[in-house]
Amino acid sequence: MSSVAAQDHRPAAAPAAPAPPPPRRGLGRKQREWIAAGLFLAPDAIGLTLFVAIPMVLSILLSFFQVSGFGSYEWIGLGNYERMMNDPLFWDSMKVTGLYVVILVPVLFCVSLGLGLLVKQKLPGMGAYRTALFLPYVVSLVVVGVLWKFLLDEQVGAVNRAMRAIGLEGESWLGDPTLALGCVIAVMVWVMMGYYMIIFLAGLQEIPKEYYEAAKIDGAGPWTTFRTITWPLLRPTSFFVLLMSTVAAITGGLDLIFVLTNGGPANGTSLAIFYIYQQAFGFGEYGYASAMGSFLVLIMVLCSAVIFKLTRGGRFDDGE
Amino acid sequence: MLQHGNDAGHPAPTRRRFLTALAGAGVATAASGLLSGCGTAQAKDGPLQFWNFYGPQRSPDPAVNAQSKWFVDMVDKWNSTHKTKIELVYLPQPTYLNGFKLPSAFATGQGPDIFLLSPGDFLRYYNGGVLADLTPHMDKEAVADFGTALDSRTVDGKVYALPMEVEPLSMFYAVDAWEKAGLSEADIPTTWDQMLDIGDKLRTKTRAGLVFETNPGYYQNFTWYPWMWQGGGDVLDKQGNVAFDSPATRQALQFWQDSVRHGITPRTLPAAGDVISAFKAGNVAMWQQGIWQVSSFKAYAPDYRYGVFKLPAPEGGEYTTALGGWSFCANAQGRNPDAAAEFCAWALGSMSDDSIDRMVDWCTRAKSDVAPRATALERGAAKGGYDSEAMKKFKDEVFPGGRAEPRYPPVVYKAISDAIQGTMLAGRGVASETERAAESIAAYAKSYQGASLI
Amino acid sequence: MASEVNAVGGRRLFSGRVGLTALAAFAAVISILPVLWMVSAAFKTRSTVTDGNLIPTEFTIQNFVYVFTEVPFVRYLWNSFFISAVITIAALLFHSMAAYALARLRFPGREKIFMAIFSTLLVTAPVVLIPLFIVARELGLLDSYAGLIIPAIFNAFGIFLLRQFYLGLPKELEEAAVLDGCGHWRVYWNIVLPMSRPILSALAVFFFLANWNAFVWPQVATSDQSLTVVQLGIASFQTQYLSNWNYILAAATVAALPMLALFFTFQRQIVDSIKTSGMK
Repeated sequence: MSSVAAQDHRPAAAPAAPAPPPPRRGLGRKQREWIAAGLFLAPDAIGLTLFVAIPMVLSILLSFFQVSGFGSYEWIGLGNYERMMNDPLFWDSMKVTGLYVVILVPVLFCVSLGLGLLVKQKLPGMGAYRTALFLPYVVSLVVVGVLWKFLLDEQVGAVNRAMRAIGLEGESWLGDPTLALGCVIAVMVWVMMGYYMIIFLAGLQEIPKEYYEAAKIDGAGPWTTFRTITWPLLRPTSFFVLLMSTVAAITGGLDLIFVLTNGGPANGTSLAIFYIYQQAFGFGEYGYASAMGSFLVLIMVLCSAVIFKLTRGGRFDDGE
Repeated sequence: MLQHGNDAGHPAPTRRRFLTALAGAGVATAASGLLSGCGTAQAKDGPLQFWNFYGPQRSPDPAVNAQSKWFVDMVDKWNSTHKTKIELVYLPQPTYLNGFKLPSAFATGQGPDIFLLSPGDFLRYYNGGVLADLTPHMDKEAVADFGTALDSRTVDGKVYALPMEVEPLSMFYAVDAWEKAGLSEADIPTTWDQMLDIGDKLRTKTRAGLVFETNPGYYQNFTWYPWMWQGGGDVLDKQGNVAFDSPATRQALQFWQDSVRHGITPRTLPAAGDVISAFKAGNVAMWQQGIWQVSSFKAYAPDYRYGVFKLPAPEGGEYTTALGGWSFCANAQGRNPDAAAEFCAWALGSMSDDSIDRMVDWCTRAKSDVAPRATALERGAAKGGYDSEAMKKFKDEVFPGGRAEPRYPPVVYKAISDAIQGTMLAGRGVASETERAAESIAAYAKSYQGASLI
Repeated sequence: MASEVNAVGGRRLFSGRVGLTALAAFAAVISILPVLWMVSAAFKTRSTVTDGNLIPTEFTIQNFVYVFTEVPFVRYLWNSFFISAVITIAALLFHSMAAYALARLRFPGREKIFMAIFSTLLVTAPVVLIPLFIVARELGLLDSYAGLIIPAIFNAFGIFLLRQFYLGLPKELEEAAVLDGCGHWRVYWNIVLPMSRPILSALAVFFFLANWNAFVWPQVATSDQSLTVVQLGIASFQTQYLSNWNYILAAATVAALPMLALFFTFQRQIVDSIKTSGMK
């Protein structure tokens, strides 16, 4: 198996290998660096162009067409965008998405940062704790959906049983539009917290110990230490987590929604991405879906600009 | 995917192919990628593909195995007697219904040559030009044999899909719960109010009194239509005018809303929608379900005592139910539409004994359905296929007076679905939801171009 | 914050540690309970699988027997393993190369290229699915391992994370190497790559997992049964009118176990090597 794997990446790696060894004459050091950079970047640049950029461009092109879903295309200019502006269902789905992102991202951020700080401690059996916390991420979202559908069942689900056991009334968790959205968020936090915990943990480990030792000598309490050392030095990681989780919140979760709620009840969990999916793959409106998708990408560009500003770019712009 | 089927055995692309492909890709894609949708890339050779959600597959459920075998036998028989070969491609039903696979294939001109279609998708596929006319391959006599079962599959007198089954909806109930509550057959409700009363009586914390579909989708609409029709309501009237905003529509929406509001109907399906398990575990008293559950009960809970009664009607209403069922279609943009259409007609729509018996076999042995052809229904009955209590009830009481599932396109479906969901599960006003839906249906109907919506 | 806690006297230290341990244990239990429920449900019969009990009332291993005997589940597992492994190896190599260039080499338009790569993170998968399918078809990638592997390799996430990591490496190391006359390839291969082992092992786990759980693309790109990946295999247990939840959960348990083992093995290494790399 590994031989096949090696074979598979060799062709693309090969062009990079002859990157200029010693010929001192001919090309200057600068030029050689440029060429090397080009070769290093080539495989990913080609791949991203082919499998991400070209599809995205095609998708933007599609957004100017009326598409039947069966291979017929008709140019309609901005027609799809006009339709989008006047489609109350799209704007409802944007509202749901907004609420979802505004709650999910900060909650997920705090929970995973907290867990990161927690599992950084040297405690007995920490490896097991880390694994346990990462465990939900190992299960695929489709299965997570099935799992929680059972746990949140209103008649015999484990959650309602536990509530009844302590004298509370059970709820129809997935049968009420507001509760259902809350459940999707909670399940998403449960799935993703271990993942971002690991990223935070890696970030925390990068902070030099000497800083903490100095703080200890100064007699700083835990809160002061966190505020003056951990938080500022963790900024690159925070930036990364914030950005990734925002993008993931806007574009992800489709598999989970399918199984858990199918966008219901009453469109309560119909996130924009779900509505786009529905228009494209349910109704064959690829042109319209592409218009909404392109709009969503624009929104994300704006979001990342805001996050960039808020975190002062993390380590993002001090490239040199 | 068809032309590359042969490559499947190779673990990885050869280096040269990969590099050549990379080099050629930019140009090829930019030039032809977007607009090459129409089947040009398809190879002419190889067997025709029949995408379906029955077989070939293996299952611990004898009924599922029998259904799979029915498909396999049918295709084997065709292949042994015809030059153009057919190959079955099995997709799990959730993938077939909600997945990405079928839409991607059709959108890029790689659709299957033969496939299964539900009424809700008929117009979309017809207007998209992918449904082949099956009429040339059928006898007039056979078309007549199907009768009204073809109504929603016909455009301008031409048949574009052949139903393999008719699946009426009725109420299923748990006999044990019924008897324990001191109820007898005489208490079987014939009005909505009676049904709500009984549902209220039978419900407990872990037992739902009366279950209606809760998940948004074509299926929920399908199960809701009869309640609207019973009061004389409709989405579009016989002339095709929008008639959605009517007292009957509001009454039907109100019925479901009340039932949920009073806690008789749960907001989510018991046992995550597994009907047999929910009944067996005692989590449900009454559930609006289709005839297909008869064979599921037979396979999975043969000793379970359940009963069937036809949908009760509102005061002053008239009984009806919705008739579902899937059909065979041939892809007009496929590799050999003529052979594909011929296959559909051969399989289900010929006057030969073979074709009729195949349908009898499907509807009475492999599954439990009403046969869409008069001859097949007769033969099935003569063979004892409708002798069991439940099937007899379906054939003699539930099915007559039923109405075929309408073929409304997505925008209409979605407007109705939102009205059902909004009133049932978000507690929104029945009047405002009805008006809103009627408005968006009217706006759509005004600009709609394509085959008749009714 | 262990250090902060350590700062205080022995008694406080002790109670602090107990509190933290309790907190960690509590969080772990919350996290793990639903998964335990899944595993236990995998041992339930069809009629009890939805009953909500944590301990099965009717214990059966029939679900697992079924999963392994009635469908070629081993083949599915192998397909997923093979595909994920190849993607992971190729992605780590390509991404670290690209990230190295973006972080450590000077060339015109570097920031612009980085921003362009970075912006591909924002492309939403369901929107580009149809165009991606067309591209894959034009390249002849449908219904082959190559079609499952190649499009999945390229993802700006890894490049971004690696670049962040490389920006933090001390300059002196490679400057010395360059002065020694090493080419950029050798600097990358002999110095940078070995130093990035911690981040690579973390990414390896993430990549492998993401592809092990891949569902949508394999569904679209393959029809050939012999190419079925494990998540599609799990989904195939759903039939028309019945959902065989017991089989689905058994199959899901089988699919999750190797990933868990992978993470458990790697997590020490990830964290330890991050600690001991001592670059700062």
